[in-house]
Amino acid sequence: MSTTAGAPTVPETRPADGQWRPKIVALVCNWCTYTGADMAGTSRRTYAPYVRTIRLLCSGRVDPLLILQAFEQGADAVLVSGCHPGDCHYVQGNLYSRRRLTVLRSLLDFVGLDQRRLHYAWVSASEGVKWSRLVDEVTAKVREAGPLGQWARPAMDAWQPPFELPEPGPAPRPKPAEAEPEAITGHLRELAARLLDTGQVKLVIGHTAGSLPGQMVPSFARTSQEARLLSWNERCAGNLAVYLPGKLKQTGGPVAVVVKSCDARAVAGLLRENQVRREDAVLLGVECAGIWHEERLAARCHSCAEAVSPLADWTLTANGTVQGSVPPRNDRAIGPDPRSAQLAVLQERPAAERREFWQQEFDRCIRCYACRAVCPLCYCASCIADKQRPQWIPTAIDGAGNMAWNLTRAMHLAGRCIDCDECARACPADIRLDLLNRAVAGEIADRYGYQAGADPALAAPLTTFQTDDPDGFL
Amino acid sequence: MNASGYVPQLMRISAQRDETSDVRTLRLDQLNRAPLSWRSGQFGLFSVFGLGESAFTIANPPTRGDHIECTFREMGKVTAGLRRLSVGQVIGFRGPYGNSFPVEEWRTKDLIFVGGGMGMAALHSPLRYVLDNRDDYGDVVILNGARGVADMVYTEEMKEWASIRDVQVVRAVDPGGETPEWDGEVGLIPQIFEKLGPQPDNHVVIVCGPPVMLHFMLQSLDRLGFHPEQIVTTLENRMKCALGHCGRCNIGPFYVCRDGPVITAAELKLLPPEV
Amino acid sequence: MTASWRLSAAEVKEWLDSLLAAGRRVIAPAGDGGLMLFRQVSSAGEVRLEDTAHARWSPKEFLFPRTETLMSYTFDHSSVQLAPPQPAATEQVLLGVRPCDAAGLTRLDDVFLGGEEGDQLYADRRLRTTVVSLACAAARPECFCTAVGGAPDGTEGSDAQLVPLPAPQGYLLRALTPKGRELVGGPEPGWPAATEQDWEQARTQAQRVAAEIGRSPLTGDLPGRLMDAFELPIWSTLAERCLGCGICAYVCPSCSCFDISDQASAYCGTRCRSWDTCTLTGFTRHASGHNPRPDQPSRYRQRVMHKFAYFPLESDGRLMCVGCGRCVALCPAGMDIRSAVETTATEVPS
Repeated sequence: MSTTAGAPTVPETRPADGQWRPKIVALVCNWCTYTGADMAGTSRRTYAPYVRTIRLLCSGRVDPLLILQAFEQGADAVLVSGCHPGDCHYVQGNLYSRRRLTVLRSLLDFVGLDQRRLHYAWVSASEGVKWSRLVDEVTAKVREAGPLGQWARPAMDAWQPPFELPEPGPAPRPKPAEAEPEAITGHLRELAARLLDTGQVKLVIGHTAGSLPGQMVPSFARTSQEARLLSWNERCAGNLAVYLPGKLKQTGGPVAVVVKSCDARAVAGLLRENQVRREDAVLLGVECAGIWHEERLAARCHSCAEAVSPLADWTLTANGTVQGSVPPRNDRAIGPDPRSAQLAVLQERPAAERREFWQQEFDRCIRCYACRAVCPLCYCASCIADKQRPQWIPTAIDGAGNMAWNLTRAMHLAGRCIDCDECARACPADIRLDLLNRAVAGEIADRYGYQAGADPALAAPLTTFQTDDPDGFL
Repeated sequence: MNASGYVPQLMRISAQRDETSDVRTLRLDQLNRAPLSWRSGQFGLFSVFGLGESAFTIANPPTRGDHIECTFREMGKVTAGLRRLSVGQVIGFRGPYGNSFPVEEWRTKDLIFVGGGMGMAALHSPLRYVLDNRDDYGDVVILNGARGVADMVYTEEMKEWASIRDVQVVRAVDPGGETPEWDGEVGLIPQIFEKLGPQPDNHVVIVCGPPVMLHFMLQSLDRLGFHPEQIVTTLENRMKCALGHCGRCNIGPFYVCRDGPVITAAELKLLPPEV
Repeated sequence: MTASWRLSAAEVKEWLDSLLAAGRRVIAPAGDGGLMLFRQVSSAGEVRLEDTAHARWSPKEFLFPRTETLMSYTFDHSSVQLAPPQPAATEQVLLGVRPCDAAGLTRLDDVFLGGEEGDQLYADRRLRTTVVSLACAAARPECFCTAVGGAPDGTEGSDAQLVPLPAPQGYLLRALTPKGRELVGGPEPGWPAATEQDWEQARTQAQRVAAEIGRSPLTGDLPGRLMDAFELPIWSTLAERCLGCGICAYVCPSCSCFDISDQASAYCGTRCRSWDTCTLTGFTRHASGHNPRPDQPSRYRQRVMHKFAYFPLESDGRLMCVGCGRCVALCPAGMDIRSAVETTATEVPS
């Protein structure tokens, strides 16, 4: 169609003989590795020429998005290299990156990226020899793996998952009899009315019946009359902590919120990250028997031993209202987490099958951002997905854009996700976001012994480091 | 049906003029030399390849129709990219879109153009048209306001316009925006306007500026006895398709790209307060 | 009487297989019980037409894709080469869409084909699309087509329609447009003609389902009442739970808003359009930062107004909402557009 005199000069990147040459992007730190690579050059070391080096000031600056974008834009492999731990020019940048990139690597492995394509190393300024050998080793591995091809393929026509995930087993305990939640509802209404009447709180966030049969939806009570609409039962799936920061800003606080133990862990996260002040939030902990959808117990509830939250300011049980928390009952029947068995199956399949599985999952993503909207820990006023300069997450609703969004979100939640599964519940495409987040959480638990829990004082693992963190690098 | 409503035609930047430190006017020549016609008030979507599109009014009147001009301020990704381009480089253009100023209806009337900040750019085309057809119109008053002296646009042209018969140019900066050498007015536009003491009779007021300025101007005009039908403005909203399809630029049932951008105060009153 | 026939379930499958064999794309509800979506099928065996089959999302993405290329280009700023998108080439059949979904397609037609300039990409696809709806033999709790001018056997937007009869009777099939006629195989496709009794049964079924839905048509000057309610504080209460995601707009058969963005390297790129929604914060945010809809109540209000006031004002009163209920069923915060309309349209003292 419309052209001008003379076509634009697009550099020819394909070699004349048509043979594939690997494209390896190296993100290297300025002070150590870049200098080391320079030394390899001045020492006249020969090594494979397929690395395109991008210099950063510190490996600590390597955002997972840089790696994702490299693959998206055609890299067959990515190599990240920085100063040795302890030698970072900025003292600790590489100690953060060690954790962050370890978690990223396990996430990318989980979604099926051939691990021969992602490498980390420590190369110091004097290690020109090491650099040249490193590049040769990486190149050999990438040649073995072959061209990556399209990072995110549209999987529309092949929507049969390559394997089945095991169905959850039977619930370890029965649905509670109606009398229990009814009793809790009575105590909740009475407590909420009292807190509002005495001015101890400006607002109570709870649940109430929705317009569809059995549906429970969030409800906001400002008067004791409105408090009479609050209800509790085993269908109160919503994590109400998501409303807390906004309502605190709106009302000036304090605000009471009805929380299950999982919801309360989200409040702990908000406290940990200074989004909420403890004195502004009144946690009304309900004794939760688990969340049921029709006759199915929610997956996370199978193994949940924490019927009440240790963070509760008030605990509502069938027997009455108690100030503070109560010790957990020992008679609660729990079973194995069905998601663990599903994760295990995923993790033992070959990477290529995992890749196909996740490509199909992400292909269904319509970028409604419901996962973000329902998550109490996705509270950023300006989300990375909305950033235009640069546009980190492509706006196109296709494989590449969807991968970028879902993987970035999983990384942003790494070590912070409190396993409420709201994202998976909300997703209109039934994408197994719960498994994605569990996989990352599992890696963090294994490596760093950390689980995002109810203790706000415990720092999130990617915001800190140990000098003896495991390496496992090339 | 348009064969490729989203594919722009190509234009080369043939000249540029920096109005202020962040506002630039571009002169663009078509590459394909097909006739391009538009009416004052219409706008186009200007493409910076690699970055995206931005909507600007076509700043020159059809009386100077062998090229088009636009005036834009660097605000975001696309405009920043546009400012990085230089004379000789190629951008895209699609348009003209929207309705236009009813310049024929203004004949024999006395006209007051009130432009606040970048709003002056939207008035440039109808104003130039009127001045190019001077004999068809009555007295012309141009009231141009900006935050400060450095934010004044079209400074050379203002001098030229002031020298035309029966054209009064009043320039104003916000209080605090004046410099020792400033010889224009100091004050907010609605106040300066009221000071001019215009009579509603036989007048049309064409006003464009930020929403807050428009709001206070409409109040002043009301106080001075102007009828909403005598007041014309041009709206802007975030825009993408400019064809009335993408659903973004509406104020109530009024789509700025399709039913506007030109609108009278009377019509604006009927719309929900969502400017 | 419109040409119509009686088919067994097996004959329906045969017919679908013949369409596939003739090289048409057939898009129909498919998938397992957990997640059913409109998908391109490769055999009639994949198609789900039973009562309980209800695709999670609308079929609109087959006329209005989630993302599509508007043009591609190579550039170096001194010269640019543009390439328009390839128009659609394959004939496609959207089969098993519910009457509400088919009605939704007519709303998309209004948006994309109306006005001075129609949308060529949409028009190409629309021309090559034949719609065979499936009348409803059961209602879901979220359904409300009858409130907004629809019906369980509504034919608006359909070229042909399958009406399920109580088992084991099979289906009635009626051709409603020349396209529909052509799809069924002309005036004598070889199936027995449907009888008046068959249609009597079908009508009774539709009445039963309408009674199950139990919602009478919204009457009165809805746009006028809603516009009058624009500045009322009730919107803050209505939207209080809304979390600002895009599920409602994206699963909706008639929502059509989109974003245009460039994805480019230093040398080449594409300009594409993707689904967008007025419920997201940045939908109307200017580059200056000014946002005419700065909070969730104003954004939720826009959604309701667009569906029930603005669109009807330029469509002779026809509502944009078709009552499929997906937004009600899928909203994670339990928002219900039906109560929003009822509340605001009655809040104004008349």
